[in-house]
Amino acid sequence: MTTNNYDAIIIGGGHNGLVAAAYLARAGKKVVVLERRDMVGGATITEEIIPGFKFTEFSYVVSLLRPEIIRDLKLPQHGLKILPLPSTFTPMDNGDYIAGWDDHDTTRREIYRHSPKDAEAYDEYGRRMARLAKAIKPILSILPPDPTSLHPKDLMGLLKLGQFASSLTEKELYGLAKIMTQSAADMLEEWFETPALLGTKSASGIIGTFLGPRSPSTAYVLLHHYMGEIDGAFRAWGFAKGGTGGIAEAIASSARAFGSEIRLNATVKQVIVKGGRAVGVALENGDEIYAKAVLSSADPFVTFLKLVEAKHLPDDLIHSIQKFRTRGSSGKVNIALSELPRFTALPDQNVLHRGAVSISPSIDYIERAYDDAKYGRFAKEPYIDMIFPSMIDPDMAPPGKHVMSCFVQYAPYDIEGGWDDAKREAFGESVISTTERYAPNIRRPTLGKQVITPADIENITGITGGNIFHGELLLHQLFFMRPATQWAGFRTPINGYYLAGSGAHPGGGIMGSPGKFAAELALKDGI
Amino acid sequence: MKTYDTIIIGAGHNGLVAAAYLAKKGKKVLVLERRDMVGGQVVTESFGENFKVDSLHAGGTLRPDIIKHLNLASHGLVVDTVRKPFISLQADSKHLVFDADPAKAAESIKRFSEKDAANWIPFLDFMNKVSRFVHSANAAIMPRLPKGFNASEGMALAKLGINVRMLGGKNMMRIIRGIPMTADEFVDEWFESDIVKAAVASLGLHGFTLGAFGAGTGYTLMHNWANRGGMSHVSVQGGIGKISEALAGAVRLLGGEIRTNAEVKKVVIKDMRASGVVLSNGEEISSGNVISAADPKHTFLSLVGAMELPPEFVWNVQSIKMRGSVAKVHLLTDGKHGIPDGTVVVAPSIKYLEKAYDAAKYHQISEKPYLEVTTSGNVVSIHFQFAAYKLKSGDWKTEGAKVEKIAMDTLAEYFPDLKPSIVNRKVLTPLDLETTYGLTEGDLNHGQLMLDQFMFMRPIPGWSNHRTPIDNLYLCGSGVHGGGGVSGASGRNVVKVLK
Amino acid sequence: MQQLRNTPFHERTSALCQPQNWRKWAGYYVVGSYEHTIDREYWAIRNSAALIDVTPLMKYMIKGKDAANLLDRVTTRNIHKMSVGQVYYTAWCDDEGKMIDDGTVARLDETTFRLTSAEPNLRWLMMNAVGFDVHISEVSDSVASLSLQGPNSRSVLKRVCESDVEGLKYFRLMKNKLGGVEVTISRTGYTGDLGYEIWMEAKDALKVWDALMEAGQDYGITPVGILALDMTRVEAGLFMLDVDYTSASHAWIEAQKSSPFELGLDWTVALDKPGYFVGRKALEKEKKEGSSWKMVGIEIDWVGMEALYAEVGLPPQVPGTAVRASMPIMVGNVQVGYASTASWSPLLKKYIALAHLEKPYYELGTDVRMEITVEHHRKHAPAKVVKLPFYEPEWKKK
Repeated sequence: MTTNNYDAIIIGGGHNGLVAAAYLARAGKKVVVLERRDMVGGATITEEIIPGFKFTEFSYVVSLLRPEIIRDLKLPQHGLKILPLPSTFTPMDNGDYIAGWDDHDTTRREIYRHSPKDAEAYDEYGRRMARLAKAIKPILSILPPDPTSLHPKDLMGLLKLGQFASSLTEKELYGLAKIMTQSAADMLEEWFETPALLGTKSASGIIGTFLGPRSPSTAYVLLHHYMGEIDGAFRAWGFAKGGTGGIAEAIASSARAFGSEIRLNATVKQVIVKGGRAVGVALENGDEIYAKAVLSSADPFVTFLKLVEAKHLPDDLIHSIQKFRTRGSSGKVNIALSELPRFTALPDQNVLHRGAVSISPSIDYIERAYDDAKYGRFAKEPYIDMIFPSMIDPDMAPPGKHVMSCFVQYAPYDIEGGWDDAKREAFGESVISTTERYAPNIRRPTLGKQVITPADIENITGITGGNIFHGELLLHQLFFMRPATQWAGFRTPINGYYLAGSGAHPGGGIMGSPGKFAAELALKDGI
Repeated sequence: MKTYDTIIIGAGHNGLVAAAYLAKKGKKVLVLERRDMVGGQVVTESFGENFKVDSLHAGGTLRPDIIKHLNLASHGLVVDTVRKPFISLQADSKHLVFDADPAKAAESIKRFSEKDAANWIPFLDFMNKVSRFVHSANAAIMPRLPKGFNASEGMALAKLGINVRMLGGKNMMRIIRGIPMTADEFVDEWFESDIVKAAVASLGLHGFTLGAFGAGTGYTLMHNWANRGGMSHVSVQGGIGKISEALAGAVRLLGGEIRTNAEVKKVVIKDMRASGVVLSNGEEISSGNVISAADPKHTFLSLVGAMELPPEFVWNVQSIKMRGSVAKVHLLTDGKHGIPDGTVVVAPSIKYLEKAYDAAKYHQISEKPYLEVTTSGNVVSIHFQFAAYKLKSGDWKTEGAKVEKIAMDTLAEYFPDLKPSIVNRKVLTPLDLETTYGLTEGDLNHGQLMLDQFMFMRPIPGWSNHRTPIDNLYLCGSGVHGGGGVSGASGRNVVKVLK
Repeated sequence: MQQLRNTPFHERTSALCQPQNWRKWAGYYVVGSYEHTIDREYWAIRNSAALIDVTPLMKYMIKGKDAANLLDRVTTRNIHKMSVGQVYYTAWCDDEGKMIDDGTVARLDETTFRLTSAEPNLRWLMMNAVGFDVHISEVSDSVASLSLQGPNSRSVLKRVCESDVEGLKYFRLMKNKLGGVEVTISRTGYTGDLGYEIWMEAKDALKVWDALMEAGQDYGITPVGILALDMTRVEAGLFMLDVDYTSASHAWIEAQKSSPFELGLDWTVALDKPGYFVGRKALEKEKKEGSSWKMVGIEIDWVGMEALYAEVGLPPQVPGTAVRASMPIMVGNVQVGYASTASWSPLLKKYIALAHLEKPYYELGTDVRMEITVEHHRKHAPAKVVKLPFYEPEWKKK
């Protein structure tokens, strides 16, 4: 079957694909989204794996979803609600804990209890990070230029970049240079002394990377935590009503309302290229669909190496994408509970269950978890970022029961001997036994669990290597080098073929920017 | 009381280069050296009868233009032009030999990978361009950003930009991308054999406290390659100390003064302005300028004193990552050590290198270390990594023996004849590097050459141009941009910014 | 879960606080006002004796051989000139000469100082203490403090203290015994009136409170909340961190920062002291080149304001408490500054404000206009730049 009356085809119904579709449809274009699975969302989904218990299977919290996307696509009218995650609670090995709230004075008092010096450093650090986040924010919306090119558009881009750099104060400029290159551990150790505070803060530098907190360049990711705050749209991290699947559904609903078509169970086999131009796609079932443009929200590896034939691309680009680092390093364990776990450090409290629980007693704890992974093993004692979605949105579990979402690092995609059921089981067990150290009753209320390894992420969502960012956020994989030098502008060497996924600038997380940028470029190119 | 135009603290190679250039300009200079010999790290010392060793660096060359300007050949400096091979030891004794002759090297690589052998010559070609980039970057003084640089600094930077651009767009991007890479990623762009990769990647770790998976070891690899002019060391005839002796000779001939056994205790500061120094014997010497070739931490926290400096500056200085993790084991043998001539490394795999580094991360000594071995007649010198300066347990008064044992056991697997051939030994621990050679925390580089401590971030943000918050006080050691290695760039550059 | 703290006086203050008017101050709850209107509290400060719980002030003990050297480096005053028993009011700056905070330094003995501040400063002090032989400890929670202010305050203390306070001079302190408890009394305050601050161990807090309340009965002693205090400090021309200026360490942008010169603290900047102190170079430069801003007092012209209200048929309205909001100040149609706190002065019967004006409008006597909102409309009331403080009774320093 052949159809050919579309303006644009979007490959992949993840949040970026859906954002791209909604923007194109909003501009009056005839658009179809082709999703491999029987549901939209990609890695942004909520599924009822155990009856009555809704699991945010992959991504589970949101901070960076661009406010302009929320406004432009009228997402609140389509059901989007981002609920606050008001605290972070880190149990310590000595039975005590350290916590932070969204209230300044309370947090100060709590940290003061552990270290008066840290309590002050915490404020000052927060302010510096917020100022740096403010300083770097414009970069996220600059289309990355090619610094080697003399093309006017690239020179303009460089000029903009230059203007940006010269608009910064000396402190901001050096601050940015430092934070881009330092390790999270080095940076934090300049400020703090309490091990559990250091551990918890450093963890946000390594989420989704195949790096440890002592690896240079991990400090940059810490900044992301302060970006949400300065938008004024919402504070730091939040949990979407209905889980992250709620976000995908809201965007899908918006896209449909603007007139976009979304086809499920439609696996794209190849992009059809004619005369150096993408003209459509061939599906696995033999159907061909034609359109003026094709936007791929798949990862760069799939987009360049699987969906198009090598002959259409320059060797350099192929080489770069082959070397593009997409090593998955994290897994998820989702658990259905008959009651909340009781933490030894705070047995009679459950206010903190509304926020995040971080298993990160020290930097070295996380670094050792990384050591396991770099030699091909999953961490025996992993870093865990835990939330209880049912405490934030009661609809996530049957009344009186709970779901617990554990983001777990490190679990290498390239595990020694490959992933199998036994290893998956053992990986799940490592999360339970680690949690048990701090909440001894965890086994009793466990009704069932789902363990997701990086291999599972790849199998289910199609993301190469199971990397949650479609490619690691490494310095040489950012900005004008993401995903490859000279091809960082969402356009590809094939006319009418665009990269619209997290593998493009500005990168991963539920941000939506790549989808929006790619759609805007396609419109600019006159599709 | 005698007064000088400039006093230079420390007679290491950078201090001497600065002194020579200033003397050449007709300035009245005085170099003050704590030890009884000049040279700093660039020394050849005797640790016993017939036991003369290049104490810390097995090789190295000053930048050719400096050798020429200062006419060092006339002071007895002869740089060996013969490049010996770089040998990566293999368990089966079929070592990987990177001969100076590219074709021969490719032949050896072929045993491990045909593809890598084919890539060897293009890789050398690329690394030559890299070296040009590194040298021109080191020749430029890094200005204060973003608006604080004067015309001459701007010119130097513009020149650097042009030089980089002239390498071609593709190479330029490749170098820029390579800087923040890990050594592993850097070599992975070219090679597939783990053995070949590890041998090349080991250069990125040499002298630094970073692993093969550490971002920025792409840059340190380029840095060390550029300083060596290739993979293996080029030794100096008569020992590396000849460089320092030649420099000292040049300084004296040009009218400069050098005093050894003259430890500076304090820089004299009045109203935020340096006006001389006080020696540990209490003697005060005044001067117009003071240049410290000591490391920035020692310079600011001990010689100047935190109380004379702005708090944020002090905090930044305290945060400079020193982290030495190099130990040296020097052996005098009866000559039957069995070690081939050249730069010999124990770097069998990328993961081996990374694991060796893990020890430093946790303040330990590598059980399976990365070693680099050079020989000179009966003398064997072992460069040992990683031996953390700050040990979690034990201290360096006793742990030196452990380093020696681990080094011996590691090498015994390849050279069974080495142990029985030993006549005398000298271990230099990271603590020795600090106490004997004045290197804070035993850091050979006066501050790790990490991404957040290089170029315009070196030694600390805002102060990359050799100047300090104290008027008339300048820095010229390895801790400033241009430093790290024996090139003398930092000593050369400081002279350009001096008032 | 952590809770905000109650001060050691809470047992007493909570029993007296009728309107449940609590304010957050540096992680503590303190009384905003004890009664539903604050008039009586205001007049207690100006006419009799007011007892104010000021425990939330940050307090640091600085001890050691280099204690004076450290404070001389951190603050703008010449600490070496201080004698034991003396108290200095001072600002401290970052190295760009912009104010971080302000407070008092008390020299308790040759090598012991107590520093008070509005915001936490432990980290800053420690950053500055590298290389000094000094020990810094925070005593905010362990030292309680009461401010006894008003013309009768001396009489109250004379009745209750073991040693006579008669000879205690302005900005001096003495050790004393009060209600059987060891205290330190300093002749300081934030009201511009005769007044004292009493420092004690937190455990002794209630004893001191009770002794003062009992002794003060005949002198009209009244517990006073921080709202009335806020009105009097405006009359006294005293500014407040986070209200009238932004700490350099909190500011988002350069323009939000202030130098001590810009806040009228020229007299506290001892550029004649020797050696380095934090901000010296920048302050020397500003002194030489002149400041582009100044904080001044302005008096709103009552007749002019009355006319604006009369236009809509209303009598003039003044706020019942000090107003902490930014109000534009104009000359012609150009904004030349802003007022950061305005207050009705019940004593002076004037509407006054602390204002920040650009050069040259900060000169005394300059006619300006301040924005006020009259029946939902923005109007500009005529005002004049006047000398600070607005009110200074002769007994303040006597």
